[in-house]
Amino acid sequence: MHLPSILKRPAALLVSARRTLAWGAWLLPLHAMAAAGAEVVTPQVRAELVAHAPQGLAADKPLWLGLKIEHKPHWHTYWKNPGDSGLPTTLTWTLPAGVQAGDIQWPTPARLPIGPLMNYGFEGTLLLPVAVKLPAGWQGEQLDVKLQAQWLVCKDVCIPEEGEFALRIPARAATAGQGALFDATQARLPQAAAGLQGSAEVQGADLVLKLRGLPAAWQGQALAVFPELAGVINNAAKPQAQWQGDSWTARVPLDAQRSEAPQQMALVLARAGAAAGLGVTVPVTTPWPTVAQPAPAAPLPAINTSPATGVAQAPAAAPSSSTAPASGLLGALLLALAGGALLNLMPCVFPVLSLKVLGFAAHGQDRKAVLAGGLAYTAGVVLSFVALAALMLALRAGGEQLGWGFQLQQPLVVAALAALFTLIGLNLAGLFELGTVLPSSLAAARARHPVADSALTGVLAVAVASPCTAPFMGAALGLALGLPAWQALLIFGALGLGMALPYLLASAWPPLARALPRPGVWMAHFKVLMAFPMFATVVWLVWVLGQQVGIDGAAAFLGLLVALAFAAWAWGSPALGRRARVGFGGAAALALVLVGQWAWPSLREAPASAVAATGPAVGADGWQAWSAAAVQQAQAEGRSVLVDFTAAWCVTCQVNKRTTLADASVKAALADKKVVLLRADWTRRDSAISAELARLQRSGVPVYALYAPGATAPLLLPEILTVAGVQAALGALPAPR
Amino acid sequence: MTTVQFLFKHARFVSTCAVALACSAAMAAPATVGQPAPPFTATDTSGKKVSLADFKGKHVVLEWVNPGCPYVVKHYSSANMQGTQKEATAKGVVWLAVNSTATDHGDYKTPAALAQWMQSQKAAASATLMDADGKLGRAYGARTTPHLYVIDPQGVLVYAGGIDNKPSSNPADVATATNHVKVALAETLAGKAIGQPVTRPYGCSVKYSSM
Repeated sequence: MHLPSILKRPAALLVSARRTLAWGAWLLPLHAMAAAGAEVVTPQVRAELVAHAPQGLAADKPLWLGLKIEHKPHWHTYWKNPGDSGLPTTLTWTLPAGVQAGDIQWPTPARLPIGPLMNYGFEGTLLLPVAVKLPAGWQGEQLDVKLQAQWLVCKDVCIPEEGEFALRIPARAATAGQGALFDATQARLPQAAAGLQGSAEVQGADLVLKLRGLPAAWQGQALAVFPELAGVINNAAKPQAQWQGDSWTARVPLDAQRSEAPQQMALVLARAGAAAGLGVTVPVTTPWPTVAQPAPAAPLPAINTSPATGVAQAPAAAPSSSTAPASGLLGALLLALAGGALLNLMPCVFPVLSLKVLGFAAHGQDRKAVLAGGLAYTAGVVLSFVALAALMLALRAGGEQLGWGFQLQQPLVVAALAALFTLIGLNLAGLFELGTVLPSSLAAARARHPVADSALTGVLAVAVASPCTAPFMGAALGLALGLPAWQALLIFGALGLGMALPYLLASAWPPLARALPRPGVWMAHFKVLMAFPMFATVVWLVWVLGQQVGIDGAAAFLGLLVALAFAAWAWGSPALGRRARVGFGGAAALALVLVGQWAWPSLREAPASAVAATGPAVGADGWQAWSAAAVQQAQAEGRSVLVDFTAAWCVTCQVNKRTTLADASVKAALADKKVVLLRADWTRRDSAISAELARLQRSGVPVYALYAPGATAPLLLPEILTVAGVQAALGALPAPR
Repeated sequence: MTTVQFLFKHARFVSTCAVALACSAAMAAPATVGQPAPPFTATDTSGKKVSLADFKGKHVVLEWVNPGCPYVVKHYSSANMQGTQKEATAKGVVWLAVNSTATDHGDYKTPAALAQWMQSQKAAASATLMDADGKLGRAYGARTTPHLYVIDPQGVLVYAGGIDNKPSSNPADVATATNHVKVALAETLAGKAIGQPVTRPYGCSVKYSSM
């Protein structure tokens, strides 16, 4: 059977289409057109989903899809760089599994002046073609494709429109009704020219383009320049150009409000009389000048980029990582499990670890109790991790820029943790006993329910451990945030299981429990000894608090801790008599209330200006404050960049900062390679840093991102830095220019 | 477009610039971030003269507005623009909305109609300026509605660009976008350098007069 090869809109090709205009609708009078066919008609355009498969459908046969837009006279839609205003047309395909659609092959645009402004776009009949690849061995009777398209159509007014299209393409018949249009469009696509090359350099307020190897037909002609990236040149200005044989030199004024600083300029050249332009990408060989910053703070290099337009600055490639992130869910779960186990070795978990060791020793001989305690502890840890993750996901869904460890960005949470650790420390040191403080029924319940006690210990462990992003956790958690919620929660659950695993194993494995020393006087000493890591943790937390609320807030809080200790002693010391307890207890209550009132206001979040001053992480040692602009600027100067994503409450970060990053040989290597050092301080909430972490597929700190000169994707160093590791990474960098 | 129309369009464009000598200068060198902001005096919707010099010592925001533009409507219907205005003016920032739509354009609104529209939107701008001849818009290089500028108390232009980083006309995108102006104001009010002093504005073109 042989079907006619020329089918003008065949009946097989059509299923449904409707005009939605969804988000533009509130503004516009609805010129409802009940659309029939794979087309959408508005008062400004007629848009149609078309296909071109002249040899039928097979994996090795050409297949093109495209959106055909017929503009009403004087109306236009936009090119990929729309110029001074406007937005490019976007196509979102829904295709059967395995079928892949490429990017829009943009025809050569036209300059569309509007007053003093210049847009780049299309009038008349336009086809935006997309090459489609069928999977090898594809077989089927037909191919169903769906398209959701958005376009902004303008004359002297602009109307955002969108449409949904559906098309059924027969497999065994040729689809070539639009062949002429596809061919004509092919002839309008920018071409590469053999031998065409050049460079761009910034000279004052101009970008000077130097191209050589232009084809003969182009030589001596007036050329129009279309940069693929918006926000670089003054679109309305005409370039001042000179010809010399096949070389063309053009001086193009830069945009006075330039927002981009690309290292490569992808250009399309056009001339009258040629339907197809020439496509060429040239390197920008000079650094981009910085925008003068009048603000008093340290001068930040600051040409910037808007993430939305980010063709140049948003790396298309995912960042490469020296700890290769697992691709699948199972890999992520395993990573989370391993990371969780390693959490136990982190400095911030150690005090809680010591508590558990005590618990083991106390129950060392009672196997059942040990196992129950281990299970309860595991449940406490896992449930806390999942709950905290659920809270974070819920807040993120609500639009908050948060990451793992976010709870320590709240001064009140830090203060509450410090108070809790002070009390635990004092209790271990023997200043007071819980039995005296707690109502007797509660104390008895706690003693009678060691299982509940174990579970609560697990909750406590998570509260303190969460900011310590252990090795492997960065990759696992970054992946988790991009997954569906249930999978993300599963990963956090695995993390908790990993953390509890050593205890669970020890409690389930009798030889280990038997190996612990027998209870004795040593336990009393050990208990007091463990008070000291608790107090060390308090010192750390108060330091974090000080970063957040300043020295006055920290001092007020220390006052509160003294009052708390006094109260704990007055109410809980077994050595005090009844009358002394009543007297001191009253005084302690009064002191707590008074000091609490004094401290409370300073523990609320300080105004943003309080953190404007350089924190501990910024300013010292040649480190500058991070910004996306600073990275770009340094790269534009051809330098390598090391970004240290850190926070005062992140112990791993502080350890790295004071050991490896402070190491003389590392510092020398950094200086030798002229690496620009940027520090992103996440001690307080900062949406820009959160967004950058998300872009690097990380959700917490520390993250160390090393950009080689000209590299868009950074190399991510391990969370725990070693001198040798950093030296190796630095050694791989090219020598500075 | 036919050849005749094409030529006509270009001819008008060329003659515009030939007649008005200031045009090329204004186009070649509009306001630059990091440089003193161009001084101006304009009339607000109530007929009062407003000068940039009146606000020396204060932060000033300029917002290009055109109620006929879907992108402006996006940020007003979602209350994003009003919220940004309220937050700024509450901190002592002067917020000037500017309409550079030419009188012969379909989107043009008389001062009274524009004032009424702003009021109906519960806008919190300090004043709404009429710039039908487009002088103010050209001096600042305003291209789109909305297009926003921040001037510091020393009269230096410290921010130019879009309201946020999601170039769409969908009001739902406001919730997930980063509001560049809020960030810039917070930074400059705190005495910090602005992290992103220039961003790409998006929206409809400013409907300039042909002069």
